[in-house]
Amino acid sequence: MDNPDTDNRGDFFEQFLDDYYAECDEHLVSIRRALVILEDEVDTRTVDRTLLDNLFRSFHTLKGISGMVGLSAAEQLAHDLESYLRELREGKVVFSATGFRALVDGVSLLEGVINARRNEQPSPSIEEIAARLQAAAAESATSDAERSINSDSTNMPALLRWQAEFTPTAELAERGVNVNNVRARLQELGQLGQAKPIVKGAGEIAFQFIVTTDADESALAALAVDGLTFKPAPLDSSQRAKDMQPVPTIAPASVVRVDLDRLDDLMRIIGELVISRTRLEDQVKDLKRVTAPAVWRSLQETSLGMERQLRDLRESVMRVRMVQIGEIFERMTFVVRDLARESDKKIIVQFSGGETEIDKFLVERMMDPFMHLVRNAVSHGLETVAEREAQGKRSEGLLSLSALTAGERIVIKIADDGRGIDRNRVLSRAKASGLANGHVDLDDSTLLDLICSPGFSTRDEADRESGRGVGLDVVKKAIEELGGRITLATRVAGGTTFTIELPLTLAIAEALIVTVNGQRFAVPQSAVREVLEVESAATKVLENNEIIPYRGKVLPLLRLARVFEMNDQREARFHVLVLGEDTNAVGLAVDRILGQREIVVRAIKDPLAQSKGIAGATELGDQRVVLILDTTALRQFATTTRH
Amino acid sequence: MPDELKTNNILVVDDSPTMRRMVITSLGSLRRVKSTQAGSGLEAIERLAIEPVDLMVLDLNMPDMHGMEVIDFVRSHQAYRNIPIVVLTTKGEEASRTQALAAGATRYLTKPFDPRQLADVVGSLLERADG
Repeated sequence: MDNPDTDNRGDFFEQFLDDYYAECDEHLVSIRRALVILEDEVDTRTVDRTLLDNLFRSFHTLKGISGMVGLSAAEQLAHDLESYLRELREGKVVFSATGFRALVDGVSLLEGVINARRNEQPSPSIEEIAARLQAAAAESATSDAERSINSDSTNMPALLRWQAEFTPTAELAERGVNVNNVRARLQELGQLGQAKPIVKGAGEIAFQFIVTTDADESALAALAVDGLTFKPAPLDSSQRAKDMQPVPTIAPASVVRVDLDRLDDLMRIIGELVISRTRLEDQVKDLKRVTAPAVWRSLQETSLGMERQLRDLRESVMRVRMVQIGEIFERMTFVVRDLARESDKKIIVQFSGGETEIDKFLVERMMDPFMHLVRNAVSHGLETVAEREAQGKRSEGLLSLSALTAGERIVIKIADDGRGIDRNRVLSRAKASGLANGHVDLDDSTLLDLICSPGFSTRDEADRESGRGVGLDVVKKAIEELGGRITLATRVAGGTTFTIELPLTLAIAEALIVTVNGQRFAVPQSAVREVLEVESAATKVLENNEIIPYRGKVLPLLRLARVFEMNDQREARFHVLVLGEDTNAVGLAVDRILGQREIVVRAIKDPLAQSKGIAGATELGDQRVVLILDTTALRQFATTTRH
Repeated sequence: MPDELKTNNILVVDDSPTMRRMVITSLGSLRRVKSTQAGSGLEAIERLAIEPVDLMVLDLNMPDMHGMEVIDFVRSHQAYRNIPIVVLTTKGEEASRTQALAAGATRYLTKPFDPRQLADVVGSLLERADG
C-alpha cells in the first residue's frame, strides 16, 4: 500500500464484514454447484467453458473482497484456486482427478478459513493445500489437439436472425426496463449473441444484439414498446460463429439481497395486520344485529376479501424468505465425500426435491442437525465395501436426501441402505446407563427416544466423524424447537431413514384456541395429532395418574391446572388434544375448543414472564394476550411426573 | 459560477456488491459527490446513456463485458472521451496495468485498496476536471 497510514484500514472495513460473509456464502454456494457438475468432467477432455469462467470469477471476487477485509489466508487460497482455474481455462493443464481433488479441498478449506474468522477462531493452515493447488497448476499439459474445451457449440437449424437494438433512456430505466432484462427477454426468444454497445448519430448509446429465433414478427413487435427495434441481421459467416457463442447466464441484476431482519420486520407488520383484521371481523359480527342485511353482507364480503389478500401478502413475503433446500444437499455431498475418502466406503449420494423451498431461518438452524444425521449415516449406517460385498449388497452404499412439501410442512428424509440400527445393542446400552429397565417393546419411536437421550451413544468413544460434541439428543431438540418432528424407521441390514418434518415458516402458525378454567390458550396445530371428546366418567386414575382409553391402549392425561398450579375445576365433558406419537403420546385436557385461528407467534423475552410450558404469546384481536403452549415441554412434564 | 456547487456523479462499476459498497463508503468523505452503481460493463454503459457521469471507478474482471472493453468504448466516443476512469482491480495482474493505461485509463489502483488513497485520487481528478 502506498499510503503509510494503513492502520485504520482494518477498522474501516470491519463495517462490511456482514456483507462480506453474505457475499462469500453466495459464491460458495455457486462454486459447490459448479464442482458437482465438474466432477463428471474429470479426465473427459471436455470441460464446460462457461462453468469454468463463472468459477474463475467467483474465486477472483472472493480474492478481492477477502483482501479488503484483511483476511489474507482466504485471499491467498482464492488466488491459488483462481490460478489453477486460469491454467485449466487456457488449456494449459489437463483436468485430472488430483487437480479436481485439490480444487474440492481448496474450496472446503476456503470455507473453513472464512468461517474461522466469522466465529473468531484461529484460521486453519492453508500451506499444504495451497502447495497442492500450485502443483496441479504446474502439471504438464497434454497436446492441445487432444483436448477441446466444450463451448456448447450447437448446430442451429436455419432460423431467422435478427439484429435487435435497444436504446436505454432514463424513462425506460424508471419503468424497470434496462439492458439486463432486455437481454434476458431476448434470451427467451432464442439464441442470443454478445451484446455490442454502439453510439448513434446524435451521441445516443444503444446496444445491438444478434438473436436467432423462430419467433414471428408479431412476437418481436410486442417488444417495441420497451424501446427495442428489430431488423434482419446481416448474414456474415465469419461473424456467425462468434455470435453463436451463447452468452453465459449471470446472476440477473434484478435480484436484490435483503437483510433477514428487514424481512422479519415485514413479517411482523403483516402479523399485526392479521390481528387487526381479526378484530375487524369480530366487530363486523357485532354489527350484524344493528345493520341492514345488504350493508352488512357487503361489509362481511370486504372483510373476507381482505383475509384472502392478507394471506396472499403473507405468502408473497414468505416466498421472499425461501431458499432451495438443494443448497444444503449440495453441501452434504462434500461432507460425504470427505468422510468416505477417509474410510473404506464407497457412497453414492442421491437427491430429490432439491428445488423444494424452505425458510432461510430454518435452513440456518437445520444445518448442524442435518450434517449430524448425514455423518451418522455415513460413519455408522453405511458399511465398508468389503462388508457390503460379503452381504451380497452392491459395493456402493446409497445415501438419499429428499425433500417435499406437504401442506404447510416440509418433509425431509435422510435415508441410507446400510446396516440399520441394532435394537439389542441399543437396549443393552440403555439398560447399562439406566435409561431403560426390564422388558421394553422397542418400536421405532421408542428406539428413537432412547438414542436421542442425552448422553446416549452406541459408540464407546465419540469418533471424529459423528462426535463433534453434538449428540442425537441435540438434533431432536433443535428440530422440536423449530416446531418440527423427527421420526425413525430402521431395519437390520436394510438401512435407516430419518424423517424430519418442519413447518414451512415460523412467524405465523395455525393454532387451536382452547380454554382451561376460563383462561384461553393457543396450541400450535402442528403439534396436535387428534382431538377427542371425553366424558369425565371415562377417565381412570391409576397410581395417581389420570388415563383414558385410546386406540386399544391408554393415554396419560395432562391437566394444565397442575402444570401451572391453577385451581383445578373439572367439567363433566371435556376435550383432549393428543400430542406426540404412539407410546409417547400425551393427552392434554382442555375444557373447550373455541376454534382454529391463524396466530402470530411472539417470543416472550422478559425472563420474569418466561415459564416452562409456554412457548410465547399472541393476540387474537381483542387486545388480550393469549399464551401459546409449548407442547414439547408439556410432554416432558407429563413423562417426568409420571409415577 | 454554478459549477462551484455542482455535484459530481461517480459511477462505481464492480460485479461484487460488497466491493461497490466499500468503494462508495470510501468516497463518502468527498464533498459534493454522489455515486451510481453498475454490476457489469454493460450496465455501466447503460448508466452513461441515462445520466451524466463525471468519473468512473472501474473493475476489470467482470461478467458480460470486461472492464477493458468499457475503457475502449468510453475512449472511442466523443461524448464520453473525457470522463476520468480510475481502474480498481485485484492485485496480481500486473500485465493489465500497462494495457489499461495504454487503452486510456486515467489511474490504476489495486485491491485491496486504501480508502483514503482512493478518495484522494478521485478527489484530485474531479478538482482537475472542474478547474
